[in-house]
Amino acid sequence: MLKQALKTLREGIFDNNPTLKQYLGMCPALAVSTSVANALGMGLATTAALVVGCTSVSIFKNSIPRKIRLPVYLVMISGLVTVIQLLMNAYWHGLYKMLGIFIPLIVINCIMLFRSESFALKNGVFISFVDALANGLGFTLALVLMGAIREIVGNGTLLGAPIVTTMPKTLIFLLPPGGFLVVGFLVAGYGYIYKKIGGK
Amino acid sequence: MTANNRIKENPVKYYALVLFVVSLVAACVMSIANMLTRDIIAEEIRKEFLHGLQAVLPPFDNSPDEENVELNGYKVYIAKNSGKLVGYGVSTTTNKGYGGAITVLVGADIKATITGVVVLQHAETPGLGDKITLVSWTGQFVGGALSKKFAVKADNGDIDQFSGATISPRAVCDAVNVAATILQKVSVK
Amino acid sequence: MEYIMLFISSSLVNNFILIRFLGICPFMGVSRSINVSVSISLAIMFVMTASSSATWLVYRLVLVPLGIQFMQTVVFILIIASLVQFVEMAIEKTSPQMHVALGIYLPLIATNCAVLGIALINAQDNRGFLEMLVFTIGSAAGMGVAQVLFAGIRERVSFSDVPQAFKGMPIAFISAGILAIAFMGFAGLVK
Repeated sequence: MLKQALKTLREGIFDNNPTLKQYLGMCPALAVSTSVANALGMGLATTAALVVGCTSVSIFKNSIPRKIRLPVYLVMISGLVTVIQLLMNAYWHGLYKMLGIFIPLIVINCIMLFRSESFALKNGVFISFVDALANGLGFTLALVLMGAIREIVGNGTLLGAPIVTTMPKTLIFLLPPGGFLVVGFLVAGYGYIYKKIGGK
Repeated sequence: MTANNRIKENPVKYYALVLFVVSLVAACVMSIANMLTRDIIAEEIRKEFLHGLQAVLPPFDNSPDEENVELNGYKVYIAKNSGKLVGYGVSTTTNKGYGGAITVLVGADIKATITGVVVLQHAETPGLGDKITLVSWTGQFVGGALSKKFAVKADNGDIDQFSGATISPRAVCDAVNVAATILQKVSVK
Repeated sequence: MEYIMLFISSSLVNNFILIRFLGICPFMGVSRSINVSVSISLAIMFVMTASSSATWLVYRLVLVPLGIQFMQTVVFILIIASLVQFVEMAIEKTSPQMHVALGIYLPLIATNCAVLGIALINAQDNRGFLEMLVFTIGSAAGMGVAQVLFAGIRERVSFSDVPQAFKGMPIAFISAGILAIAFMGFAGLVK
């Protein structure tokens, strides 16, 4: 049981990273990764939603008839994300304003859909929990990596603290094109390193 | 499985029931969350606005966001210190920003000079146009008379624009001018 | 005149995909051929317009008067999902051909950040109905333009000699980045 859990954990974070390998969750990844703080906030919010959402789907998978699976699931997840949204607005107001429209969009985050459809629906509660956690953390990792690159190169800071002062700030990395470029190179780099380490 | 048995009896009714129950539970959970957070959220928004007011108005000890007067459809916020009137503020919006609407909060004292300008909301380009939010930039308006018409250097004014982003500063000047006119009218009253 | 400005600004200056980052999933996944891109873009335009109209009405007439704006995400998602389901049934009845071709993509359109995103944006902005329509159709048109352009680029890139590490998605992202830079040139088009 534990061994399987650890394997699932490793898969979600490294081997099958939802963003860097499966290209899921791109919309928020590109938009929100302009700074590590935002990336971390978004990643953790999504992980929270994933964990609660997928675990719930797994708990109720036998009680929900096949035909209405999609609407029931949408109601559950969007209700959950609304609660997260309200909590963030109240207790993390600054972060909430920065993430803006992408918080409700967690509902249709491809990771959310995929993991619940393809995994939570067919597996036990505990392992679904671990899988959701792993994917959430993998997503957070990818986001933070992007955020770090974009923040350091684009603004010379990391988590708001100045790091690089000799190089001029390359603004384009904070703007939309920068998101695409950084993701492209990151995915290429990730695939390359992964192959070198000996994975598939 | 009981679920399948019930489906065989009357599928549509069962689906509707499940959907209804799930929706009801979701609605309840959300409503509870909303009730719990509503006041906290309102307080956060009020704190933000008060922060802005504190930045633009002379020191006050009342609640300008609650004490205000209406003029031409704008809410003018009254600042008092120990009961004495010290200043007023108003928030105006211009649509002439690069990325859309820019909302500014302008404060003036009873001598009809501007005491502060703060950009509340904007959609300007990060790194370029968003320099309008810098205190070092908005500080240029401070001390100006309410009767003065502010303009960027390119338009024969004395407000510094930054190269490559004239539109944003120009829009802010526009918003500040509208605000100054309103505040002037109020100070006359 | 203002509507034309709104259309240009929503389709090009604030392009949904390349500037706002909404609608990336179909953008990356589907735009390998120009033909498919055109069909998908039209489908998305239809769904966006229909769902935005419906959600706008529900927001103004139901959610706001009752003070339950916080329910908007759930309500909007249900409206969108039902609408797409309905569209899928309609396509199946009228053109089985198209249904087979677009079949797999329809769920992708329903659960698309762009469709829910624009519903949420339209709910927050204080636009009138007609303005909202122009904004929505403009945004969808902009998405279509970006998609078709991107499909063209990808078709070309598939014939090029791409380094192994970059083959497939990475080079696609980088091309999208360059396309995004090009689209930034539209800024300033609307004074």
